Amino acid sequence: MIEIENLEKIYRTDEVQTKALNNVTLRVAEGEFVAIMGPSGCGKSTLLNILGLLDEPDGGRFAFAGTEVAQTSERRRAELRKKHIGFVFQSFNLIEELTVAENVELPLIYLGVGAAERKQKVEQVLEKMQIMHRRNHFPQQLSGGQQQRVAVARAVVNSPRLILADEPTGNLDSSNGNEVMELLTELNEGGTTIIMVTHSEHDARYAHRVIRLLDGQVVLENLTQAFSA
Amino acid sequence: MLKNYLLVAYRNLVRHKGFSFLNIAGLALGLTACLLIGLFVHDELQFDKFLPGGERVYRVYTEHTGKDALETYSSVSPMFAPTLRQEFPEVEQTMRILMRASTSLLEVGDKKIYVEDGLYVDSTFFGVFPLAFKYGSAAGALDAPTSIVLTENLAKRFFGDGNPVGRELKVDKSSFLVTGVLRSGLSKFHLNVNYLVPLAAAQIPPARMKAWGWNQFFTYAKLKPGTDVRQTEAKLQAYINEKVKPTMVGEELNDKPFLQPLHDVHLYSAAFKFDLSVRGNITYVKALSFIAAFILLIAGFNFVNLATAKSMQRAREVGIRKTLGASRQQLMGQFLSETVLLTLVSVVLAVVLTALLLPSLNEFTGKDMAFDLLRNPELLGLLAVLTVVVGLVAGFYPALVLSGFQPVKVLKSAVVTDGIFGRVQWLRHGLIVVQFALSVFLIICAIVVFRQVSYLHDKDLGFNRDQIMFFPMRGQNMSQHYETFKNELAQVPGVASVSIGYGFPGDQVAGDGLIVPTDGEKKEYGVTQLMVDYDYIRTLGLELVAGRDFSKERKTDKDQAFILNETAVREFGFGAPDQALGKTVQWEVWNDKNPDSLKTGKVIGVVRDFHYKSLYDKLEPAVLQIFPGAYWKVAVKLKGDNLSSSVDGVKQVWGRFSPESPIEYRFLDQNFDDMYKAEDKLKSLLWIFTGIAIFVGCLGLFGLATYAAERRKKEIGIRKVLGASVATIVGLLSKEFLVLVLVAALIAFPAAWLAMSRWLQDFAYRIDMPLWAFLAAGLTAAAVAFITVGYQAVRAATANPVNNLRAN
Repeated sequence: MIEIENLEKIYRTDEVQTKALNNVTLRVAEGEFVAIMGPSGCGKSTLLNILGLLDEPDGGRFAFAGTEVAQTSERRRAELRKKHIGFVFQSFNLIEELTVAENVELPLIYLGVGAAERKQKVEQVLEKMQIMHRRNHFPQQLSGGQQQRVAVARAVVNSPRLILADEPTGNLDSSNGNEVMELLTELNEGGTTIIMVTHSEHDARYAHRVIRLLDGQVVLENLTQAFSA
Repeated sequence: MLKNYLLVAYRNLVRHKGFSFLNIAGLALGLTACLLIGLFVHDELQFDKFLPGGERVYRVYTEHTGKDALETYSSVSPMFAPTLRQEFPEVEQTMRILMRASTSLLEVGDKKIYVEDGLYVDSTFFGVFPLAFKYGSAAGALDAPTSIVLTENLAKRFFGDGNPVGRELKVDKSSFLVTGVLRSGLSKFHLNVNYLVPLAAAQIPPARMKAWGWNQFFTYAKLKPGTDVRQTEAKLQAYINEKVKPTMVGEELNDKPFLQPLHDVHLYSAAFKFDLSVRGNITYVKALSFIAAFILLIAGFNFVNLATAKSMQRAREVGIRKTLGASRQQLMGQFLSETVLLTLVSVVLAVVLTALLLPSLNEFTGKDMAFDLLRNPELLGLLAVLTVVVGLVAGFYPALVLSGFQPVKVLKSAVVTDGIFGRVQWLRHGLIVVQFALSVFLIICAIVVFRQVSYLHDKDLGFNRDQIMFFPMRGQNMSQHYETFKNELAQVPGVASVSIGYGFPGDQVAGDGLIVPTDGEKKEYGVTQLMVDYDYIRTLGLELVAGRDFSKERKTDKDQAFILNETAVREFGFGAPDQALGKTVQWEVWNDKNPDSLKTGKVIGVVRDFHYKSLYDKLEPAVLQIFPGAYWKVAVKLKGDNLSSSVDGVKQVWGRFSPESPIEYRFLDQNFDDMYKAEDKLKSLLWIFTGIAIFVGCLGLFGLATYAAERRKKEIGIRKVLGASVATIVGLLSKEFLVLVLVAALIAFPAAWLAMSRWLQDFAYRIDMPLWAFLAAGLTAAAVAFITVGYQAVRAATANPVNNLRAN
């Protein structure tokens, strides 16, 4: 699904040059659930942004589902992004002017899905996320756990092959956090590839594999306990 | 997709009510001002355009080289019309209108009404101006000397709704037969007209009609299609030089004729003397068009400014949408449709406001403009185009900038520090300076005009203008027995004194030469001739600074006495007023029978200068003398509180002397108030425009302050964490805007000084430039700016710094 080789990302200011990613090589197979861990500033968010085609690497190769995308155009990346990738953020990033259902509907609109089909898909996914009863509420009217469920619903509504989660439980208490992790696991079991950035060892245990970054480099790649045995 | 855009747009609008209101109100107000000005300008440009063949009609005017300066006369000799018709084959038709005294008494049976704007015209009138008839027809309507054509409005007043053709109507006691009624709707005709009678009815001696020196006719020529008017004009000028001037005996002809296109008459005749036409002024039309464009520009700019500032807060939304797959085009589409929607709301509001304000504008301008969108598809189309264009322009910048955001950046940070906003800083600041300069300029103008107008109305004019009834005498009985009439008026209870004469303040005055024999030489001075009686000085409350008033007891006062004003004493070089007494002056008596008779007399008194004309005019030398031959107007000074019974008493006396004509009176102070109508209007206009300018300027500043506060959120947060007080931060944010206002004031001060000095120069009597107005305008602008910016600054300063810092 994802093949990265010698990936580099450099941030430059007038005088200082920081290597955010240094020779990162990584493979993620279809259907995997991978956690990326590391201390603040290690480059994990940068990596996730590149994986999500939101940012461009400065060097190295990056193949997404067999397509080389390291140097491709913004238009093409947007195309791939909206078709294949769903995002879940720590701060949910729901649009406050839109209701739950409208937020979830948004990716389908940008994909050009017809109104009837959109309605059906939105209802399905809201049902599945058990948030149907809140469909006409605005994000501010929901609890954090509910908001993240909406965000997950929005991420999966167009059945992406890859879900990128950036500390999805970071703003949640433990019971809500567990609920979200269960959701992600469920999706993964349904065949969706998941790459998650997290600080939490607890959350990382839901993943098949943990990649540890330090100063822009992969320092350790190991299977989690659940899969190491 | 569009539905989603509009939904978000709508919810954004509702969520930020105050902001939306300001933004919509600002644009709506700007558009309303533009629409109203546009309607006015359009209306001004429509004059005479409704007349078929009007593009071939020209008005003859002359440039007269007088002793002082070049003057342009719109009334010319009666000879131009026949000359043009006979000597110039390219002229299809000519037509003359006689300039004459203002009102006439019209009678049908018992109904008597004084009517203005009756025109004595050649029978070719309708050939040149094909006006539409309601009753009767143009053919032969003015052929008989006793025919009269009425306007629909006038016909209604006398005859109701019926067809009056063939009915009799008296004009100043002469009988006329109605031959036609003009359809109403002449508001875009350059001539004010109530009725038309043939020139023949004026019974002008044929010899007079051949006088090249008698400039009392408005003359029009309709040229044949394809004529080069410049050629005709040149030929006409040559004809006057070669054929007419050599024939002139005893008088000089210093007039050079020109042909003015009919469509220019309304707007391009501001400098013409003795003009009859309804005059506009192309300078005003151009200035107003410029102002309208400027207002639209500023309103649009503020709209962009506010929208951009607001959109900064939506960077996160853009990030989310991009992450979800929105393309740049889609995002631009979203922002553009939002601003178009906002513009649409503003336009609708502006249309409603325009419709509500139009009646006031009509009253103010004396027009009857209509604002009917359904019947005016062009205007509707224009508004639609305006909506889209303003919406697109206003939305383009935020759309371009926001859609270009990198989602990674905006999602990570709550504050956008993208440099592109900063790059156009100078433009934003420049436009704010322009707006505030305009506000300061207008505030100063408003204050100066207000002071000058108050001065005009309140200045001591050197006579007492209160409670003086004023009217012209009517009918032979009254004129012939004016002394008895005057005595009876004086006996009405409540009447303090009565004066009959010609040359009352605020009314017409005559100018003529006065001969002052000095050192054996006769020197002639141009002076104002006030033909007065023995009670003039008392009735007007003039002050004698030397000598005495005219006295009935002294028989010589009638034919051998003059009273001068102080200016005359100075101009004639008589020295102090006392020294003028006993000096000899002479005057060529107005007398048909003996044009050479000379009235010689002594100066018996000197009156303090008094303003018989408006304060535009410098006091001129004036001479008062007893001359019953010119008596025409009556001034009745009333006393006490019971004015209405005194007025009734005056009317009763009038009825005994002139029962056939109703009395037509005014109060003298009205004459003076009327003189400054234009200034009163200017005053109101300035207040309105000042209000709009300040409001609009504040909007721009508010948008900029919002933007700045947003941009510096993080900085403010850090400063607060480090211990800055609210006051320090408010000061920090306000300072840069106060600097802008200061710059604006520095630009506005000299401009306002120049403009107001020039305006004041038109008045011979004026206030000194009030320096405090400049200070007041500057302080007002600064205060308004501080309040506007302060609101945002306080909000930013009191916000919890944690909220602004956490996101990073």
